[in-house]
Amino acid sequence: MTEALAAPPRPSPAPDQPLLDVRGLKTYFHTLDGVVKAVDGVDFTLPRGGTIGIVGESGSGKSVTAYTLMRLIDIPPGEIAGGQALFEGRDLLTLPMGEMRRIRGNDIAMIFQEPMTSLNPVFTIGDQIAEAVKLHQRVNDREAMNRAIEALRLVGIAAPERRVKQYPHELSGGMRQRAMIAMALSCEPKLLIADEPTTALDVTIQAQILELIKAIQERTGAALILITHDLAVVAEVCQQIVVMYAGRVVESGLVTDVLLRPEHPYTQGLLNSMPSDKKRGERLTAIQGVVPSPFRLPPGCKFAPRCVYAWDRCQEEPELLASGERLVRCWLQAPGETARRARFEADAAATVEALLNDESEPGFAAESPPA
Amino acid sequence: MATLQPSIEELTPAPAPGTADYEVSLVSLNQWQLAWRRFRKHRMAMIGTGLFFAIILISFVGPFIVPYDPLSISTPIKGCGSGCPPSFAPGNFHPFGTTGGLQRDIFALVINGGRLSLLIGVGASMISAVIGAVVGGVAGYFGSWWDGILMRICDVLLSLPLLFVILVVANFIGQGKGDWYTVLLVFALLGWAGLARLVRSVFLSLRGETFVDAARAVGVPSRRIIFKHILPNAISPIIVATTLSIAAVIVGEAFVSYLGFGVNPLTPTWGNVLSNAQNYLSQGNWWWAFFPGLFIVVTVLAVNFMGDGLRDALDPRSRL
Amino acid sequence: MIKYAIRRTLLAIPVLFGISLVTFWILQLAPGGPEARFAQNTRVTPEQIAEFRARWGLDQPIPVQYCRWLGFCNPEVSGTVLGVFPSPLALIGPNAPWPNFLPTAISGADNGVFHGDLGFSIQNGQPVTDVIGERIGPTIILAGTAWILWLICAFLLGVLAAVKRYSVFDTGFTIATYIGYAMPTFLLGLLLIFLFTQPPLKLFPVGGMWDVRTIPSFGTDAYWQMLAQQPLKVLGDLAQHLVLPVITLMVVNVAGDSRFIRASMLDALDQDFIKTAKAKGVSDRGVTYHHALRNALLPAITNIGLEIPFLFAGAIVTETIFSWPGMGRLSIEATRNFDYPILMGVLVVTAIITVGANILADIAYAVVDPRVKYD
Repeated sequence: MTEALAAPPRPSPAPDQPLLDVRGLKTYFHTLDGVVKAVDGVDFTLPRGGTIGIVGESGSGKSVTAYTLMRLIDIPPGEIAGGQALFEGRDLLTLPMGEMRRIRGNDIAMIFQEPMTSLNPVFTIGDQIAEAVKLHQRVNDREAMNRAIEALRLVGIAAPERRVKQYPHELSGGMRQRAMIAMALSCEPKLLIADEPTTALDVTIQAQILELIKAIQERTGAALILITHDLAVVAEVCQQIVVMYAGRVVESGLVTDVLLRPEHPYTQGLLNSMPSDKKRGERLTAIQGVVPSPFRLPPGCKFAPRCVYAWDRCQEEPELLASGERLVRCWLQAPGETARRARFEADAAATVEALLNDESEPGFAAESPPA
Repeated sequence: MATLQPSIEELTPAPAPGTADYEVSLVSLNQWQLAWRRFRKHRMAMIGTGLFFAIILISFVGPFIVPYDPLSISTPIKGCGSGCPPSFAPGNFHPFGTTGGLQRDIFALVINGGRLSLLIGVGASMISAVIGAVVGGVAGYFGSWWDGILMRICDVLLSLPLLFVILVVANFIGQGKGDWYTVLLVFALLGWAGLARLVRSVFLSLRGETFVDAARAVGVPSRRIIFKHILPNAISPIIVATTLSIAAVIVGEAFVSYLGFGVNPLTPTWGNVLSNAQNYLSQGNWWWAFFPGLFIVVTVLAVNFMGDGLRDALDPRSRL
Repeated sequence: MIKYAIRRTLLAIPVLFGISLVTFWILQLAPGGPEARFAQNTRVTPEQIAEFRARWGLDQPIPVQYCRWLGFCNPEVSGTVLGVFPSPLALIGPNAPWPNFLPTAISGADNGVFHGDLGFSIQNGQPVTDVIGERIGPTIILAGTAWILWLICAFLLGVLAAVKRYSVFDTGFTIATYIGYAMPTFLLGLLLIFLFTQPPLKLFPVGGMWDVRTIPSFGTDAYWQMLAQQPLKVLGDLAQHLVLPVITLMVVNVAGDSRFIRASMLDALDQDFIKTAKAKGVSDRGVTYHHALRNALLPAITNIGLEIPFLFAGAIVTETIFSWPGMGRLSIEATRNFDYPILMGVLVVTAIITVGANILADIAYAVVDPRVKYD
C-alpha cells in the first residue's frame, strides 16, 4: 500500500460532466425497534472512468449506499429518505423501475461480496451470463453464449467453452467471483460497483481478483466504485476515497491526499491501527470504543465518543467542510481551531510516516508527501 | 510514538473513556428470552395459546361445574311421551342439543370428552417426543451401525400407512373396548419416527461442528456432550414438532374412535361421540356432528397457531 | 443415474420386508383372530373352530405362516425347528430340489407373495388379488384425481401468496390455509355432506361411486360397455360422485402444501443470487418464475414425495365417509373382520406404491438439483 502512496499521483480524469453525482443521499430502515438511519447524508462525485473507494467499518452504511444507487433496497422496511444520485444527469433515485432495470447490468453493474451464494445454483454460469446479455442486447441465444465465453476469457478463466456449461458449485470461490465479474462486464457497463469483492476470498486470491478488477477498469474505461474496509486495497486501486462512519461521509478526496495527510481523526485512527513492521513487538493500537448502535446514535458528532481529540464543541454535529476537492466533517478543520488542529496534524504526520517508512516493504524508499 | 496518544490532561476534558462504551447499552437477552419476546409479538400464537388453555380449562374444570352426567339419557321436557322428537335441537335445556338414538346431552358429552381427547393428544405427543429424541439423538451422535439399524426401523414405521396400523393395532388390542390409555400408548409408540428423523439430522449436523471436537479434546464424556451441548440446539425443533403433533394425535384419535376402533363409548372422547352422527344428518340433526367437530377444529387451530408461533419464535433466523 | 435408481430400489427391499414382517407379527400376536367372529356363535363347536384354523393354516407358528405367506416355504410341508421356525425342508418347493421361492415354472410352487398369490379372504374366500384388483381402481381414481388437483392448486396459490406477500390476498390465504389445515378430513367430509347433499342444496349424491339405479357396477363388463357407448353419461355421473370426496381429500393437503410452497418460495427469494439477478436487470417476473421458482421446487419435490403415504390414510377416511368402494374402505372392513390375508395384501400393495413413490421422488429431485451426485 505504501508503494502505491509513494507512486506519482495518477492523472485526474477530464473535467467534463461527472458520470455520477451523489448529493445528500439518505436511506432509512423502519424496524420494529425504531428507525435506522443507515445512510444519512452522503455526497461524492465520480468522473467518467474514475475510481472511488468507499471505506468504513461494518455498519458504516457503505454497502447500503451502493444498494441504494442500484435501487436494490427493499422498500417496505427501507425508505430512500432524501437526496439525489445523478447518473449522466438522470436521478437514479426517482427513475421508474422499468428505466432502472434497463440501466442495471447495462450501464451500471454490480459485483457482490459472497461469490459462494450470489450465483443461482440451478443454472449453469453460461446461462446466467448469457441471460445478462440477452436482457440488454438484441442477440440470439448462440451469440449471447459466445459473448459469455468471451467474457469468461476476459476475466482469465481457462477453457471457457468448457466452464460455460458448468454449475456454480463446480467452481472454486475465486473462479465464481471471476464469473460474477464476467457477468457484470458482459454488457460493457459505464460504471462498475464492487461491494467488498474480495472479503470472502483467500488472501492469495484476493490479490488476483483485485489485479483483475484494476486491469479491467483500465482496459474498458469503466468507472469503479469499490466498497471495502481495507485501506490498502483502496490505495492500490482507486483515485478517490470516501471514508464513512455511522452513515455519514467523514472525509473524502483524492487517495493520495487523504491517506498521506488525513484530516479526520477517524481516518487517522484507521491508518494508525494498521500493523506495520515498525511497530513489531508493540501492542496493536485500535480505536477505542465500538461503532455506535444505530438506535442510540450520540447527538452531535457521531465519532466524538471514540475520539481522543474531542472537546465540547463536538456535542454539535459538524458540517462538511470543503477545502478544494477535499471534504471533512470535523471541527478540528474549522477556522479558529488552529491549536487543536496542530496537535492532531502532528499525530497524523507521525502515523503516516510510520507507515511510509515501514521497512517490511522491501526495496522501497519513501518520498516526501505532497504539501 | 508517544505523541500519538496525548495524555488526557493535555487537552480540555474529553468525554471520559466510559462514554465510549455508552452506546453498548442494548440489553442482551438469552435464547429463551428472545424467543419469548418474539412469541409475544406473534398475535396468532398468543390467541392460539389462550384458546388452547381455555379449552383445557373447560375440559378439566367444566365437568365439575356442569351438572349433566354425559351418559345419561335425557329426560324429555314436559314428558312428551311417545310423541317425542328423535332428538332435541339446541335449546335451553340442552345447549348443544342431544344425540339421536339414545338422546344424550351433547354439551355434557363434549365437555367431558375434552378431557380424554386432550390427555391422549398431549400425552402421546410427549411420550413420542421423548422416544423420538432419544432414538434420533443416539442415531445421530453415534452414527455407524446404530444409525443404520435405528433408521431402518424408522423407515419401516414411516412407510407403514399410519392410520391403517393404528386401526389394526387399536382394534386388536382394544377390541373396541379400548381404554384411553391403550389408545394413548398406541399413538405414542407409533408416532415417534418422524421426530427421530428430525433429531437425528440436527445431531448429525451438529456433531461435525468444531465445538464438539473441542469438548472431546478436553475430555468431556459423550453423554454430557449430548445432553448439555447438542440437545439444547435440537430442543427448538422438538418443541415445535411436539406441539404440532398434539393436533395430529387429537384428530387421529377422533377418527379412530369415530370408526369404533378407539376409546370405548363408555368414556366419551370427541371422536367416539361422533360415532353415529353421520346417519342422523339426513334427519336434520346437524348439531350432533357440529359441536364435537367444532371443538376439535378449534383445538387443532389453536394448537397449530401455538406451534407456528413457537416455530417462528425459536428460529434464530426468523424476522420477527 | 440408472445406477442410483437401482441402488435406491435395492435399499428399499429390506424396508419392504421389515414392513411386512412387523405387520404380520402384530396381526398374529393380537388377541382374537379370524375365528373371533365365531366367539359369540354358540352353535360353532370347538372342533369346528380348530378345523377352521387348520384349514387356514392358522395353527402354525407365526414364522411358519409368514414364510408361507411370502412364498419362501412350501405349505405342504409341516414340521418345525424348535417348535417355532419352519423346518428347512419347507424351503424346498414341490419340484425338489428347487427352492420354493423361485418362479413357479422352476419350483412348482405357487404360494405366497413371490408367486403373486396373496392368499384368500377369510371373509368370503375370494382370492385376495381379485378383491384388491376390484378395489384398487376406485382408490386410484379418487386419490389420483385429488392428488393432481391439489398439486396444481397448491403451486398456484403458494407461488402467488409468496409473490404478493403481505397483500390482502396473502392475508386471506393465510387465514384460509390455517383453517383448512386444522379441519380434520372426516369432519370436513361430514360438513360437506350436510351442506351439499341435504335439502337446501341437494347438489351431490351422498356417497358411492356411481348411481346404482342407472349405471352398472364399476369394473364389470356392463360398465365398460356403457362407458364406450355413452361416455358422457358415465363420466358425468362419475364426476358428480367424485366432487365431494375429492374436495374432502384435497383441502387439507392444499392448505399444507401451499403454505410449504409459499415458505419455500420466500426462502428462495431471500437468497443472495436474487440480488444478483435484480442487479443484472432481470424483471420481477423473471426473478420470481425463473430464478426463485426453480430453487423453490427442490424442497417441494421432497415434501410431495413424503406425502404419498398420507394419501392412503386420507383415502381411508374419505372412502369410509362417502362409501367409496376402494381399498381404504376395504381395509376398514377387513379390520373389523380380522381378515388377515386381505390386510396383508392391502399392506403389500400400499407399501410397494409408497416406497416406489419415494424412490421416484428421490430420482426427480436428483434430476432437478444439479448439485446432487449420483454415486
